[in-house]
Amino acid sequence: MDPMTFSIIRHRLFRIVDEAVITLKHVSGSAITNEGHDLMVSLYRADGTLLMGGVGFLHHLTSAAEACKAIIRRFQGQIGEADVYLLNDPYTAALHTSDIYLVAPIHHEGRLVAWSACFVHVTDIGAMNPGGFAPQAVDIYSEGFSSPGLKLLDRGEMRQDVLDTILNMVRSPEMVSLDLRSMIACCNVARDRMSALLTKYTAPVVDEACAALVEQSETLFRARLRALPDGQWQSRQYLDVQGETARVVLTMTKTDDRLVFDFTGSDPQSRHSINCTKWAALGGLFAPLFPLLCYDITWNEGVIRPVTMIAPEGSIVNCTRPAPVSVATVGAIQSVNNAACTTIGKMLAASPEYRDQATAVWHANHFAIFKFGANQRGGYSIGILTETFAGAGGARSFADGVDIGGEIPNPISRMANVETVEGAFPIRYLFRRRAPDSGGPGRYRGGTGGEMAIVQHRAPAGGIDYVISGKGARHPMSEGLAGGYPGAPNSYVWVHADAEAAPGSADRLETIPGTPEPVSWGVYPLRGQDALYVRWNGGGGYGDPIARDPAAVAADVTSGVVSARAAAEIYGVALAPDGGADSAATVALRGAIRTARLAVPEAAE
Amino acid sequence: MTRFILPTVATDGTICTCAACGHALGPAPWKRGAIRRDLPLAVAGGAAYDTGHAGVFLCQFICPGCAVLLDTETAMAGDAALDDRLHLPAAAN
Ligand SMILES: [Zn+2]
Repeated sequence: MDPMTFSIIRHRLFRIVDEAVITLKHVSGSAITNEGHDLMVSLYRADGTLLMGGVGFLHHLTSAAEACKAIIRRFQGQIGEADVYLLNDPYTAALHTSDIYLVAPIHHEGRLVAWSACFVHVTDIGAMNPGGFAPQAVDIYSEGFSSPGLKLLDRGEMRQDVLDTILNMVRSPEMVSLDLRSMIACCNVARDRMSALLTKYTAPVVDEACAALVEQSETLFRARLRALPDGQWQSRQYLDVQGETARVVLTMTKTDDRLVFDFTGSDPQSRHSINCTKWAALGGLFAPLFPLLCYDITWNEGVIRPVTMIAPEGSIVNCTRPAPVSVATVGAIQSVNNAACTTIGKMLAASPEYRDQATAVWHANHFAIFKFGANQRGGYSIGILTETFAGAGGARSFADGVDIGGEIPNPISRMANVETVEGAFPIRYLFRRRAPDSGGPGRYRGGTGGEMAIVQHRAPAGGIDYVISGKGARHPMSEGLAGGYPGAPNSYVWVHADAEAAPGSADRLETIPGTPEPVSWGVYPLRGQDALYVRWNGGGGYGDPIARDPAAVAADVTSGVVSARAAAEIYGVALAPDGGADSAATVALRGAIRTARLAVPEAAE
Repeated sequence: MTRFILPTVATDGTICTCAACGHALGPAPWKRGAIRRDLPLAVAGGAAYDTGHAGVFLCQFICPGCAVLLDTETAMAGDAALDDRLHLPAAAN
């Protein structure tokens, strides 16, 4: 088709998704949406295949396509103009019950021509633990309301009986109602803007452009794959819950213009809610694939076609009903994200042409901590600690990772201001800052994660409670690349205050008065002068740490993100009295590290 | 023609070598020709990596020729090393 018209329509589709995302954020009143950007909006073709993937959590792009297809199958012949459908069953398409999809048909001149789909993590879904992540769940039945597809709006009219039924099953129904209305507004904007585009260019022309866009993506992606080496690259992730360890194992094989992601060897599904379904695993591997391999290619069905996933049924990455999955997005799905990021990073790094586009793993370990309880205004609040979205960048072949640099699966993730959180909950931050030694050492250092501590503050009920689904306190998960170390693991500590403790201040874990107790899984109180301390992982490093520029190591020590001990023991850098690197002593230290490495006998596996 | 399995490990299609010094690591899998050093986490990375739980290791693969760190893995005892390799036509790389 005419390349100018094609280009204009392609850019209009981008803008439609962007405007729908803005609408979603502005109508939502929930910090997880408008601060953390735990959201997604995309456009789909009439058959439900992905047309234009938007930003937000990218592991939703393909599963929302499956949600569209499930709605098409279920409501065949009954799909009307301005209908809006809801789907949140993980065994049909969703990632977990609290990530609700709203799926809306787009008609033009009486004919169904496209779909929009969006999600937010709703404030509550009626699972046994507030906030949707349910570490205490034993099956899908204890993870709240779940629908394989229902009609929420019938030709633009809210089905009040359906809405009331949903709101009757959740805590904080006023917030869940606002969550749903933010998504309806998003669907309305997507439909209105698509209608304008269709009116201006006509449905046949837009359809031709959409088909060409999918073909273009497939052609460009296959060409990129052909430019990369053929081979296999492996990765492994550990998920620790309550002393039990589950492995996600991945072999990615690239042959000509095809990629196979094979999770054979991954552990059986867990009794804990860290499992994910096959649609979730598929979304999980695409989350790093889109930005790392297709940063300049439109994210649509054309990118999906060259990719095959093998996920053994009954495994942690393809669990069977009724296994619990409410922690999937920060559990098995995130491990799939990380494993795929590692194998894609290795493949890119194997190509001299593409090496500068490889990355070690970014923020590999979310900590889902939902605060809940009576707030300082006489109401009830539920909300996530959005620091989980702050992340940490992985190192590249030419640069350090970005400190508190976000994450690969969500290009727009971020955290709320301290004041925003203190305004919504009766809590006070003792500190929040970059965490020393958290960035994976390497010739290029992984970006640091962060650390923070909170206490209750004039809480009307004496405090609040929190649900924590925190894995990754035993195993580093942000793997390094080319000899780089992984980022340091997470840490979750309940500091029990001494009996007569007065409200105080502290600037690090060691200065919080009281007795520390590691916590990671379940529901805990935050009362009296007790504190909750959280440290989140840094990004993986790139290259041998003893090849790092000594001046960069000295600067890291000066700024407090690397300790003098790590500088000496890991980087082999000796510091001079002025804080700079001592060249002669550094050469000696590094020589000693090389000698120690070679002292280990060569070991065949 | 030299190709790379990782930035640190090259192969001519038959023998894998250290990309830094050219030391021969042998045929695939290249890690068999490297020095393997399993460090308990707390030893490997200092206090930030000391989780208080034994059994998790930073596994280092080191070039016997120049002592450069070729690759790292997080591993638990008994887990096999990850196997990265190229698929080159008519060669075992
Ligand atoms: Zn060497």
